[in-house]
Amino acid sequence: MAILSLKNVHKSFGNTQIIRGVSLDIEQGEKHAIIGPNGAGKSTLYHLISGLYRVTSGTIELRQQPIHNRAPYEISRLGLARSFQVTNIFPRLNVFENVRCALLWSHGFRYSFWHLLGRQGELNDSAMHVLDQIGLKDKARYPAGELAYAQQRALELGIAIASGAEVIMLDEPVAGMSHSEAENAVQLIRRITEGKTLIMVEHDMNIVFDVADRITVLVYGEVIASDVPAAIRGNPKVQEAYLGEVATSA
Amino acid sequence: MTLLRKLSVWVAYLAALLLLPQLFDSILAISVFNQMAIAIVFALSYNMLLGQGGMLSFGHAVYFGMGGFLAVHALLMLETETAHFSIIWIPLIGGLFGLLAAIFIGSFSTRKAGTVFAMISLGIGELIAASSLIFVDFFGGEAGISGDRTYGPTFFGIDFAQNVEVYYLASGWVFISTVFMYLFIQTPVGRMANAVRDNPVRAEFIGYSARHVRFISFCASGLFAGIAGGLFALNYEFITEENLNAATSGRVLLMAYIGGLGYFIGPIIGAVLLTLMNSLLSNYTELWMLYLGILFLLTVMFLPRGFAGFIMMHQLAWVRGKLRDLVVPYLMTGIPAVIFMLSLIALIELVHAEEASLHIYGLTLDPAAAGTWIALLLIATAALFGTRRSLPQLRAAWDTANHIPDEER
Repeated sequence: MAILSLKNVHKSFGNTQIIRGVSLDIEQGEKHAIIGPNGAGKSTLYHLISGLYRVTSGTIELRQQPIHNRAPYEISRLGLARSFQVTNIFPRLNVFENVRCALLWSHGFRYSFWHLLGRQGELNDSAMHVLDQIGLKDKARYPAGELAYAQQRALELGIAIASGAEVIMLDEPVAGMSHSEAENAVQLIRRITEGKTLIMVEHDMNIVFDVADRITVLVYGEVIASDVPAAIRGNPKVQEAYLGEVATSA
Repeated sequence: MTLLRKLSVWVAYLAALLLLPQLFDSILAISVFNQMAIAIVFALSYNMLLGQGGMLSFGHAVYFGMGGFLAVHALLMLETETAHFSIIWIPLIGGLFGLLAAIFIGSFSTRKAGTVFAMISLGIGELIAASSLIFVDFFGGEAGISGDRTYGPTFFGIDFAQNVEVYYLASGWVFISTVFMYLFIQTPVGRMANAVRDNPVRAEFIGYSARHVRFISFCASGLFAGIAGGLFALNYEFITEENLNAATSGRVLLMAYIGGLGYFIGPIIGAVLLTLMNSLLSNYTELWMLYLGILFLLTVMFLPRGFAGFIMMHQLAWVRGKLRDLVVPYLMTGIPAVIFMLSLIALIELVHAEEASLHIYGLTLDPAAAGTWIALLLIATAALFGTRRSLPQLRAAWDTANHIPDEER
């Protein structure tokens, strides 16, 4: 049963069509990578699924429930979390607060102004647990904006996974990292998405083929292939459109 | 331990509020303290918007004024005996009306933060200020409306005829309001207000509508601004259009900003400072508004985190016991800087002087004599030179005091 299902999704900005009829089914527990050259519409697709943009036409369903054209916060509450390509944290809050804020809704606090955060033992323990997972426990009281880049990326991940969402979408999680940092990040991603559905946009092909169960190739707003890694590697259309370009430029 | 320390801060705050009139008991002092009490609640409520929630409002006086107007109407009802309750509840009535106004206006103004919010707040502020001259029955036109706080049942025998009695009532409300505004930051929605201020887009992806979070902060802020307005009504027993117009909105912005937006205590410092300037400095010079403007400019340029931020800057040096090393460099720069500013003020006053002689700093200066001007200019130049010369040493001392050796990192 597909946990996330896109049917004939279109998105235009004015006369410019960015997404041109994407249909895609992602199964529960799958590690799914979306790849494609720059400008293929990967980020737009992410924004459509997560509710930042409205679709021009087509439907998106999460667990058979339509989520297209709903507000990001509603989609988030249904159990879909995402990270961002550009580090997108709460810079003036400390690291602990960043994660704790991400936990609030799923712990049922809603818009409460009658609970004191300091007294919520369970909430605070969960926040510390997430910090432990992303390796930032000793930086808990640091202002998030002053962390090193790789640590900010880890925090970005932490915010995305904190709520315990079933579907986690990561947008270039290792972009801009050194080789060893990227390696650590991949291990971290594996660890924290264990048993969950992971969707990932990534440019590093080693990581993509390493992590993904299935790969979707997006070119000019259209899916040209969606298959297991081995089949994608052998697909001539993909090689022409994307891998070939990488091979020649490398 | 930390709980004990926090508690002792609050006890000290309450003690300071209650002991002030014991230390200074002149009529002027009590009147200044009453103004301070009102300003503290108002500035703290403004900080809920700007400092905590990232909403720059140019119309916060609307909620202050609305609360104040309803409070005076409540006083009038006590006077005509259409209602019967102790006036200690007047600030709460003001607060509830401020809240009501905030619910109504916030329902559409909190959709966006940033420029849109700022412009709407400005528009609403002008709208209400203009309509206060139109709806004369409620707002009383240009003269405003006035009441009398001595009606209604007495509170344990106190009829609040004396200003000092009003001060104790006000300080009670100040304390309660401060505690609740402080606690608000510690609640889920209070913390999310910070998150929305920092990054509204991201907040939406962790399950919170930035708009709803803003709306709740906005309403809470309106409530406390209304309480401040109610205190104003009790203290002055009248209120006019001036108390909800742009000038009052601007003043509360200055208070919060000069005090320091990022710190809870900042607006309190700002409120105390500006009230003192307003009521004391104005006795000495007609130009105090100019000096307030200069103070604001200097704060924006050199102390972007306000006076509270300036104090907090020294935390690291304090913890490391290096604060003493800064005293001499501070004096080396501070003394010429103060001389520079004093001579500049003398020059400004000289320009403004209408009489044949200007009395300043215990001196008598002659505005007509060229020598006065030349001497002041020379002193100012020398002092500026001295400030600039000593600045590198101060900077170096600062760096040393705040340097953490690598082995401690």
